[in-house]
Amino acid sequence: MSAENPAAPTVTESAAPRSAAPMWIIVVTLLLLFLGGYYFDQHSGWFNAKVYAPYANAEKLNSFQPQSGETQRIARGKFVYDSVCGICHGADGLGKPGQAPPLAASEMVICKGVSRLAHIPLAGLNGPIKVCGKDWSLSMAAMGAALPDEDVAAVLTYIRTSWGNQAGPVTADDVKKVRADMGRNAPALTGVQLLNLPE
Amino acid sequence: MNPTENKSSCANEIDASLRVPLLALFGGAALWLVVGLVLGLIAGIKFHAPEFLSACPLLTYGRVAPAANDAILYGFCIPAALGVMLWIFARLSQMPLALPLVPVVAANLWHLGVLVGLGGILLGESTGHPWLEFPRAAAVLLFAAFMLIAVSAAATFGWRKERTLYPSHWFMFAALLWFPWIYSTANLFLNSNKVPRGVVQSIIGWWFANNLVFVWLALVGVGIAFYLLPKIAGRALANSGYAQFAFLTLILFGTWCGVPVGAPVPAWLPALSSAAAALTIVPLLAILIITIKTVCGACVSCKGGPFCFVKFGMMSFILSGILYISAACPQYSRVLEFTWFGVAQTQLQLLGFAAMILFGAIYELLPQVMGKPLPFPKFAKAHFFITMIGVLLFVVPLLIAGVEQGMKLHSGAAFADANAVALKFLRVSTTGQLLVLLGALLFAANLLVMAIQWKLGVIKCVIAYIKSPLEASETPATTEVKS
Repeated sequence: MSAENPAAPTVTESAAPRSAAPMWIIVVTLLLLFLGGYYFDQHSGWFNAKVYAPYANAEKLNSFQPQSGETQRIARGKFVYDSVCGICHGADGLGKPGQAPPLAASEMVICKGVSRLAHIPLAGLNGPIKVCGKDWSLSMAAMGAALPDEDVAAVLTYIRTSWGNQAGPVTADDVKKVRADMGRNAPALTGVQLLNLPE
Repeated sequence: MNPTENKSSCANEIDASLRVPLLALFGGAALWLVVGLVLGLIAGIKFHAPEFLSACPLLTYGRVAPAANDAILYGFCIPAALGVMLWIFARLSQMPLALPLVPVVAANLWHLGVLVGLGGILLGESTGHPWLEFPRAAAVLLFAAFMLIAVSAAATFGWRKERTLYPSHWFMFAALLWFPWIYSTANLFLNSNKVPRGVVQSIIGWWFANNLVFVWLALVGVGIAFYLLPKIAGRALANSGYAQFAFLTLILFGTWCGVPVGAPVPAWLPALSSAAAALTIVPLLAILIITIKTVCGACVSCKGGPFCFVKFGMMSFILSGILYISAACPQYSRVLEFTWFGVAQTQLQLLGFAAMILFGAIYELLPQVMGKPLPFPKFAKAHFFITMIGVLLFVVPLLIAGVEQGMKLHSGAAFADANAVALKFLRVSTTGQLLVLLGALLFAANLLVMAIQWKLGVIKCVIAYIKSPLEASETPATTEVKS
């Protein structure tokens, strides 16, 4: 028995028939790569160093964090908005044709003062009005009349700082003042009355 | 020129150049294997009789258990694998070993490093990181010795006469580069003066353990098997395209594994590790197909010969790979973490896969290199059957114990109760350890008797040379080596 070639004379030391990797194993690899990528997407938190199992993404984690100050007010505002205002004005603040005018970039929302804006949820609004260059003629009930001052302030702050709006916050004192000026059971305002009010 | 004659004289030269380095590597390795298994047995007995040797601080569980693992991996698997790789590199290059003195020095340096390391662990100087327990002095010795052997192997590879590459080349050459990379990185991070604080240590530790025990052993074992299986079966390696694919996917995905699913680290680490573990199915599948296609239908009656060892080793590799991947699967990991399951998988990888393939390779190459048959060929056959049964008895009960333990822990049982479940399985697995030790003694007997015979031969030759008249011998050096 030759030491180089123990059994079969046709097989030399370094002979291995050349062949390409077969297609099916490449397909299996790609399939596993896809599944692995999906698993990674679902569970990794995308390399965020603060996300630990069993949580899978930063947003979910943030929703469990205790909040304070401005963040808490905005979160409260979002909650109130989603449950009271968002049904008509939309979660994206773009309004709904024939139902409610947009709040994003609306001149009523992003104006400097807050008194005129605060009148709308507290008193309601009736009849024709021009928003973002479009004419609307609808009626809105006094949706905020039953809410506490803090919630009205929070929701107004939320709409003034979301969807690209960059206006200052509204405080509960602002709302309280408007409510006091308005008196109890004030009738719904018309568009003209609203525009005559000071900002 | 007669090519066959040229070839066989070349084979003689190759064997002669390898004789001393391989004896130096394997002789020490066989001793460390016995030492490691005895230490492992001591650690195992402590589960049945906690008072056993408890008065001696050197032999408490916390020191004996890591010392046993390190003796088997660093003492046996790595030097034996290096020896077998030197042989295969020389054979595939069709030229004698380059720089043959370097591996002899390196082998002694390596064994000295293991001695220092094991002494360090038993004296309480362990670093505390799994698979990196050896104190700094030992790590430096091991690294230097590995580099020296790698230089010799790489030189043999670089100056090869046969230029075409064989699949084993990829695996083995990658292994030569892999170990220095991971060992130096892990030691510089965890064993130096400025150690990173906190959980980063564990992450580096997991990365290193995975790369050493899973990737490095796989590269070495599969590389050796891809050389030996076709050689013994007398046929070509099936589907070398699969082999290339297996190699690339193994080193690409295998190296990301190792971070446990429940690890208290940012979620992307275990998520990435689990995804990579799932992708490691691809190289396992490819290696399984190559092995089956190469082995099935080969007319080899092995009956406990090297072929059996390598076949069993490959079977264990696939099994241990599947266990490794399933342990990285979040659903199973929740049950299996902190149980005997991981221990069983590691031991299957070490003893069932790496050690078995190395035994087979050594039984195959040693008679050729030494130019004479094994002193006790029956011991070699007995070694196979005893070790096979021993490994199965060692590993399978621990796997079942791990699953039962995990289910019990998961169902809210007290920790002590869940642990007590494992006791009846531990009894069987300690018996398995005993059998593996018995097999290792047979292996060491064969190897050491062969080494002593060779040494006696050398001494006889030297005496004959001194006694003989001066003109009779002209080339004393070659006489000495060849005898």
